Amino acid sequence: MRLPLAGFILLVALVGCGGGLEPEPICAPGLVGVCGTLHFRGAIPPQTDNVFVAAYVTFPRTCNDLIANRQPFFPGSVPYTDSVAAYSVGLLPGRYEWVVAVWKKVGTLTATAADTALLRVAGYYRNPGDTSQAGVVAVANGAAAGNIDIVIDFDKLRPATDFVTCGP
Amino acid sequence: MRTLTVVLLLLLPVGVAAQRKTPAAMLRGTVRDTAGAAVRSAVVGVPGTTLYTQTDPNGRYRLAPLPAGDLTVRVAAIGFQPTAKAVTMTAGDSTVADFALVPSPLELTPLDVVSTKVPRFGDRAATSVAQVSEREIDKRAVNTIDEAVDKAAGIQFLNGQINIRGSTGYVQGLNSRVLLLVDGVPMNQGDRGGINWDLLSVDEIESVEILKGAGSSLYGSSAFGGVINVTTHDIPNGIHTRLRLTGGLYGDPPHPVWSFRDNPGLLGSADFAASYGNDEMGARVSGGDRHSDGYRQQDRDDHLHFAAKGRWTTNNTRVDLSGSWAADRYDVPLSWCSRSECDDRGQLFQPFMVDTTERGARTDSRKGYVAAQVRTTVSPQFAWSGRASWLRTDFTDVRRSASEFGIGDRFGLGGQLEARPDTTRVVVVGVEGTLSDVSSDIFGDHTQSEFAAYGQSEQRVASLHVSAGARVDFLAVDGGSLTAVVSPRLGLTVPTDHRERDGGQLRASVGRGFRAPTMAERFVRTVALGLDVVPNPTLRPENAWSFEIGHTSAPLWGLMRVDAALFWTEARDLIEPQTLFVPPDTVRIQLQNVVRARLRGLDASLTAAPLRRLSTTVGYTYLDTRRQLADSASGPLAFRPRHLLTAGADYTLGSAAVGADFRFASRVEKIELEGFVDPRRVAMKVLDLRGSWSSGPVVFRLLASNVLNYIYNLVPETLAPVRTLTLTAVWTH
Repeated sequence: MRLPLAGFILLVALVGCGGGLEPEPICAPGLVGVCGTLHFRGAIPPQTDNVFVAAYVTFPRTCNDLIANRQPFFPGSVPYTDSVAAYSVGLLPGRYEWVVAVWKKVGTLTATAADTALLRVAGYYRNPGDTSQAGVVAVANGAAAGNIDIVIDFDKLRPATDFVTCGP
Repeated sequence: MRTLTVVLLLLLPVGVAAQRKTPAAMLRGTVRDTAGAAVRSAVVGVPGTTLYTQTDPNGRYRLAPLPAGDLTVRVAAIGFQPTAKAVTMTAGDSTVADFALVPSPLELTPLDVVSTKVPRFGDRAATSVAQVSEREIDKRAVNTIDEAVDKAAGIQFLNGQINIRGSTGYVQGLNSRVLLLVDGVPMNQGDRGGINWDLLSVDEIESVEILKGAGSSLYGSSAFGGVINVTTHDIPNGIHTRLRLTGGLYGDPPHPVWSFRDNPGLLGSADFAASYGNDEMGARVSGGDRHSDGYRQQDRDDHLHFAAKGRWTTNNTRVDLSGSWAADRYDVPLSWCSRSECDDRGQLFQPFMVDTTERGARTDSRKGYVAAQVRTTVSPQFAWSGRASWLRTDFTDVRRSASEFGIGDRFGLGGQLEARPDTTRVVVVGVEGTLSDVSSDIFGDHTQSEFAAYGQSEQRVASLHVSAGARVDFLAVDGGSLTAVVSPRLGLTVPTDHRERDGGQLRASVGRGFRAPTMAERFVRTVALGLDVVPNPTLRPENAWSFEIGHTSAPLWGLMRVDAALFWTEARDLIEPQTLFVPPDTVRIQLQNVVRARLRGLDASLTAAPLRRLSTTVGYTYLDTRRQLADSASGPLAFRPRHLLTAGADYTLGSAAVGADFRFASRVEKIELEGFVDPRRVAMKVLDLRGSWSSGPVVFRLLASNVLNYIYNLVPETLAPVRTLTLTAVWTH
């Protein structure tokens, strides 16, 4: 009995393992930067223009920091109409203290501190060990930091002044 | 056709009168195994004559009328050594003969009554035949006929469409290159030519025979790639009831990002059957209901069915009436969701979810048939049979954009004479007529008629068995001109081992097969994949020459038996969907006779019984296909996997048994309409585990199908079933 049973198990093992359909990887192939999923909650505000993800090497202190230290400087929009969306953001290798999802109202940006009037903090990556704190992300050389998931609550968009000081 | 009916009706009293001239003898008795258990569905008959019958669930049989004198009676059943016994019959009296069969897992399928066309007793067919017995259907705990057939070697289902050695491919149900017979009555749809696998409950099925290769010389259109003959249970004497309850649940998607519901999907069914019979007549009614939540989004299915069967037997004539009706309402997950077609959660595809624009799509379907058959054994050397049938299918596809409907009928009439001039020869001749009609907003209103005459002779010459036959079919659409198709066939079997029983055998055959275009293929006008599908009334019948040479070994070392066949099919005028570019920028789909194709390969199976309680089977099919287009582009045919492997093992211990089945199909190299659909596809690797336990009249069966929850698709954007756990309880009285 051992021989046919072993043969059957061997047969299954040889051709039966792996190879099925798999979800597409969240991170873009060859990405150097951060990637993950955005989980959306709440109702999309009527004045929504887009949503983007940006990162900061050090936590910004002023509205100027928010605009000038943003990486990438011209972030691309992410899809926001589904309950979940994948994102990938290219960054230079390094340590990032704040990875933030930003909601943008309809209007033209000027790449100045005045832009903060059109922008709201929609959510940010949180420290898995202490979710009240922002999580620090390390991007290694030639690699992507994955699972940088962010919850975005459209009902709880927060102005920049909740996080930084904006001068007159 | 009216002439045929008159002839048949005239023959009926002739047969009865002929029988009355000499008082007939009757043989009755039981067939049991060596442990004393009744053997159901054993074939009992007199070799070389038209006289045979089958045992009932209690192993009882009744064979009459028999001539007086000395006879040899042969008994055969799947899984047992056949046996024969000499009996002396007395005119006007009955004789009792009981048989004990010795279990033999390596025993060949008896193939004693493969079809109503050529009843053969003790001789094997010249083509490859696979058989799925009731015992196999039971132990596999399947719920539908297609699930039972799917496990046979060389067979593959592609989203409900059956392929025998790669015959059909996949054309979204618009045709089938395999003919379905239910008790010998053709049951392919009148309008689309497809097969309704849920027309009958699996409880109705006694066995399924799969004839591989072109069978048009006997069966005509649709028997292009093979024939599936479903035999339903006969009505036994006495009162019998059966209740079958099934409950189960579907597995969750293996990746959270694919989850689409909070609770597991459930399925359940209840089937009931009751029958009463005596020596003269009998009747059975059955019914059932089935519900499934489905294993993906928008996949609910509700099914209701009823069936009835009756028989009336005189000394030499038997009349069978049967009918079935089924209604379905099922959601249609037309295709899976690709990026941005639904809440895709950042995925390029969501195989468990459907495109938002297809939400709410469902189909309401009703189908039913009635059939009447009569067979008169005029003498041990001569019998005739006739049949009439009506199959109706009715569907309404409810879609967000527009609804479509179709009502199709298939009326059939046939008669056959069977003669056995001596014990070495059998000759059958017959005529058939089929009238199909359709009324539909996508197929239009049309009729198609087919008339045919056929004949076949099987002759034993020394140790050779030679069969030769031909059939001519005349086809007409909407009363137009006739198209004639001739389908000859020649077969040969040669014993390679002269043991008294179960020796090896070489077989070879060549035959022509054809398939008439269905009315759906000719006249369909709809939208698919966002493209207009336009009709093509000028479609010609497909045709093919099929060659096969095979060998069945004698038992090797008392442990195993091997069967292998090389097959080769040269096909012309295959009907396949093609894209038409209409300047300046319009693309349409049309079915066209564009393909000259070749399908060749190897079909092999091994059955082994290394221990008394353990049996194993392995089947492998290698398929090499090639198509040649008019513009000389070539490549493999779409939807044909190169490798198909099935393996099974069963271990029995007293009233308990466990088993496993594994199926592998390599990734198909080519799909149709590439560029218009998501081309993603993978190989099939499915493992099923099962167990059963019986206690008195109740049997419990547990089935875990696709137990590894392997996620795969066989056709584009259509997810195949995920892990499903079912528990079935059957109470039989």
